[in-house]
Amino acid sequence: MESLAAGLPLFKRPPSTAPAVTLADPDHELAERFRNGDRVAFDLLVRRHQKGMWRLVRRYVKSDADAADVTQLAFVRAFRGLSAFRGTATVRSWLYRIAINCALSWLRDHRRENPTEIAEDALTEANPAPAQLSADDDRAWLRKAIEQLPPKQKLVLELRVFDDLSFKEVAELAECSENTAKVNFHYAVKRLRDILGADHAP
Amino acid sequence: MRRDPHDAPESPNSPGSPGSNHATEPQPGSELLTAYVDGVAELPPDERHQVAALLAGDPQARADQAAVRTLLDQLRDLPAAGVEPDWAAMERSIHQAVGSSVPRPWWRRWKWLAPSAMLAAAAAVVLVMWARPDPISEPEVHRIANLGSPDPQAAENVVPLWLDGAEVDVDLSASDLLGALEAHAPGESDDDSAMQPGPDADAEVDLLPSTNLAWVDQLDEDAIARAEHWLAGKKG
Repeated sequence: MESLAAGLPLFKRPPSTAPAVTLADPDHELAERFRNGDRVAFDLLVRRHQKGMWRLVRRYVKSDADAADVTQLAFVRAFRGLSAFRGTATVRSWLYRIAINCALSWLRDHRRENPTEIAEDALTEANPAPAQLSADDDRAWLRKAIEQLPPKQKLVLELRVFDDLSFKEVAELAECSENTAKVNFHYAVKRLRDILGADHAP
Repeated sequence: MRRDPHDAPESPNSPGSPGSNHATEPQPGSELLTAYVDGVAELPPDERHQVAALLAGDPQARADQAAVRTLLDQLRDLPAAGVEPDWAAMERSIHQAVGSSVPRPWWRRWKWLAPSAMLAAAAAVVLVMWARPDPISEPEVHRIANLGSPDPQAAENVVPLWLDGAEVDVDLSASDLLGALEAHAPGESDDDSAMQPGPDADAEVDLLPSTNLAWVDQLDEDAIARAEHWLAGKKG
C-alpha cells in the first residue's frame, strides 16, 4: 500500500486558506478542495490511489492493459461524482467501490468476447523458472486456495490483506456490518488453513 | 458477540467445506481471533477482552493465533499479480480524459436555476389554485340568491299586520305554531285561552288586513295587550 505521505506537500499551505475539514484523513481534505474548485486536488487523489485501485481491479480483470483501462474509467467516474461525495464513507473506500463496480461491469461486457480468457499470471505460473519453482509453487498454492473461498470471504480477505483496508472500509465495500466483516475474515483465514493443511505448510 | 442478522457472515460450515466437522457453537471471541491478530486496535474494548480471555484459557486458541499470524504474513508476501503500468502515463491519460474544469453537482449548477425557479413558480400556482375554495356552481348560485326571497306559495299565506307602530308579517300557515308557542310560554298560562287558535282563526286573521287599518280602532284593550305582548316577545 502506498504511503499516505504521498500527498503531504499539499498541506503546507497557510492554515488560513485551509478548508475546515478533518486533518485526520488527507483524502477528505483533497475531496473538499476539489469540491471548492481545486482541480489539482483530484490529480493528487489519483496519485495517491491509482496503484491500489489498479491492484484491486487487476484481481478482477486478468489483463494488465485492461486493468489500466478500467482503473482509468473508474477515476473518470470518480471525477464526475466527487463533487456529490457526501463523506459518509472514506474517500478510499468510495473510490474502491467505484473501481469494483467498473471491474464487474467490464467483466459483464467482455464475458462473451473472451469466454476462455486465461489470466496472464496463470500463464506465467504455469512456466516457472526452475530456480523459482518452489517459491512459485507456494504462491500458486496460496492463490488457488484463495480462489476456493466463498465470494464474500474472498472479497473480505483480499480487501483486508492485499489492499490494507480497515475493517470499517472492508465493511463498506462488502456492504455488511463491521462485525460481519471481522467474522468473515476469520472464517476466510480458517478455511484457507483448512485448504492448505492443518499446519498450512505447503 | 453482536451480529446483524441481515448480513450474517457466510457459513463456515457449508456442505463439503473442510470446516464442516465443527458443528458446535463457537466459543465467545473465537470468531474475532483473526481480527484480533491482524488488527487488535480496530476492536472495541469488549471484543478485545473476549479474545484475550479466550487466549488466556485455551491453548488451542493460542496455537491458532500463531498459525493465523504466519498465514497472514505469507499472504501479504504474495506479489501483486501482473505488471504494474506506467503510473505517470496513467495520471496523464486520466487528466486528459476528465478535462480541466471541476464538475459541480447538479444542484450547484447555474443552468438548473432557471428551470428550478420556473418549476417552483408553477408549483406555487398549482398550490394556490388547489387551496382556493371551489367556485360556486350556477345552480348553487341561484339557490343562494333565492334564499331571502319568499316562496310564492308561502307569500300568499303571509299577511302584514301593523302593530305597535311597526309592520309585522304574519304567516297564516304558522298560526298554529304561534298559538302553541304562546300556550307554552312560561308564566302566561292564564292568557292562553285567548290566543288559542280556534276554528275561526283564519276568519279572525282575515279581519286584520294592513290595507284597511280601520280594524285597529275596533280592537278591544285585551286584544291590543295580547298583540303587544306577542310583538314584544317576537322582538325580544
